[in-house]
Amino acid sequence: MRSNAEGAPRHRGARLPSVSRRSLITGSLGAAALLAAGCAGPGTDEPSAEVQALASPSPTPAPLASQVPVQPGALPQASQATAPVRLRIPAMRLDAGVQPVGIDPRTGDFAVPPSVDNVGWYRFGPGLEAAGGSIVIAGHVDSSSQGKGAFFGLRDLDEGDRVEVQDSARRVVRFQVIAVEQFRKTKIPLERYFARDGALRLSLITCGGPFDEATRHYRDNIVVTAAVA
Amino acid sequence: MRSSILRRMLALGAVTTAVTATAGLATAMPAHAATSKVSVVHGIPATPVDVYVNGKVTVKDFKPGDVAGPLDLAEGSYDIDLTKPGEPVDKAILSVDGANVPGGANISIVAHLDEAGQPKITPFVNDVSKVGAGKARLIVRHTAAAPAVDVRAGGTPVFKNLTNPGEAKADLAAGTVNADVVLAGTTTVAIPATDVNLREGTATIVYATGSAEGKTLGVVAQVISGLHSAPHGVPSGDGGLADESSLSAWWLAAGVAVLLLLTAGGVRLATRRASR
Repeated sequence: MRSNAEGAPRHRGARLPSVSRRSLITGSLGAAALLAAGCAGPGTDEPSAEVQALASPSPTPAPLASQVPVQPGALPQASQATAPVRLRIPAMRLDAGVQPVGIDPRTGDFAVPPSVDNVGWYRFGPGLEAAGGSIVIAGHVDSSSQGKGAFFGLRDLDEGDRVEVQDSARRVVRFQVIAVEQFRKTKIPLERYFARDGALRLSLITCGGPFDEATRHYRDNIVVTAAVA
Repeated sequence: MRSSILRRMLALGAVTTAVTATAGLATAMPAHAATSKVSVVHGIPATPVDVYVNGKVTVKDFKPGDVAGPLDLAEGSYDIDLTKPGEPVDKAILSVDGANVPGGANISIVAHLDEAGQPKITPFVNDVSKVGAGKARLIVRHTAAAPAVDVRAGGTPVFKNLTNPGEAKADLAAGTVNADVVLAGTTTVAIPATDVNLREGTATIVYATGSAEGKTLGVVAQVISGLHSAPHGVPSGDGGLADESSLSAWWLAAGVAVLLLLTAGGVRLATRRASR
């Protein structure tokens, strides 16, 4: 892109501005492209090493051959998971009700509570009694009819922010944010956040990223992982 | 919950009926896995036993109605013997020689009565494929000295004409289902109604055991967990208020404007310098 220094002097005047103009325009377009690429947000689809470490199950020691476990073949009892009933995140000034939710049978999706002021605990996964696995609470970032949701500010949480989860007996389990991740919905490793093994952790999930006005969908999911404080 | 499970079972026809006869041990398994999970189920009434595997006592004083294991067994051929408690292996009351255990399978070896009431050992391969999120697998096995039966949920037959030693299975919405067992094609109750809690992400295997004639019919249950899947997705916003693309678009527009100004300025500067 440099101008030819050996060009005839009378041409130099004409050539220099033309080349400069081209390089400047190219440069500005390049910068615009960089800005556009930045739309995906810093770190989209980049998993956090801390979250991966927490999600790795610790190897269970093989039982000795002489100790074969024997149990009565009784019909199974209902799950005794301790449901969270309130979620508090001081950094977001959030104090929200938590409802036990499951799966939307029409779609196979997580059944986030219809009211955007409430958040939903995945009742098939670990509860507050658990010694391991991922307790999942998901909530709306917003809704077209109800406005901003309980998890509107979730993406702005920082490492170290406190999260408190309370059960119906007013027992509080305290967590601390260790990672805020953003994934395209097509790339998010959901099995990691719905795992029932690995270290005990809290996974808070909502929507984020660019919004498609046509489909009324966000492109991404925001996941905040918090470890027991 | 109960009625909705039933409705779904009926409406979608999501019921796999009577996988016939004995599930052989030698079904196709992944080649890389070398060990299998093996459980032993005791379905012979009033007969506690010691279980020997390859001549070694593995479970002592194994009670009717109990489930032992799972054991990790390398793929290969196994001799299984049941003796009265404390008796040596050569006084076995029931034996299977050379049972083939493939690698990477989940197997239940069931001591039970055949239809005529004779003790026997039947191996079943357990379906431990993942179930969809929110679902549970129900597997029913006829291992009782009884004729063909229907399994009913909420009073309606869902698994029909199941014979010893056959199984039927279905993946259902997790929750409680009220089930009973009747003689096939009749309303004659063989095993009275009971609530079966199907926990999400598990396979619950219910064995009909005992003898109709001996009035010892009952059930033994085995639960295999860890078959859960993640939901398809977490849709949690349709308002667009948190849209990042609009924010970025503003920055993009501002950035382009600044760059164009710089370009214009640069061009003017360069032109002025060149014309000097």
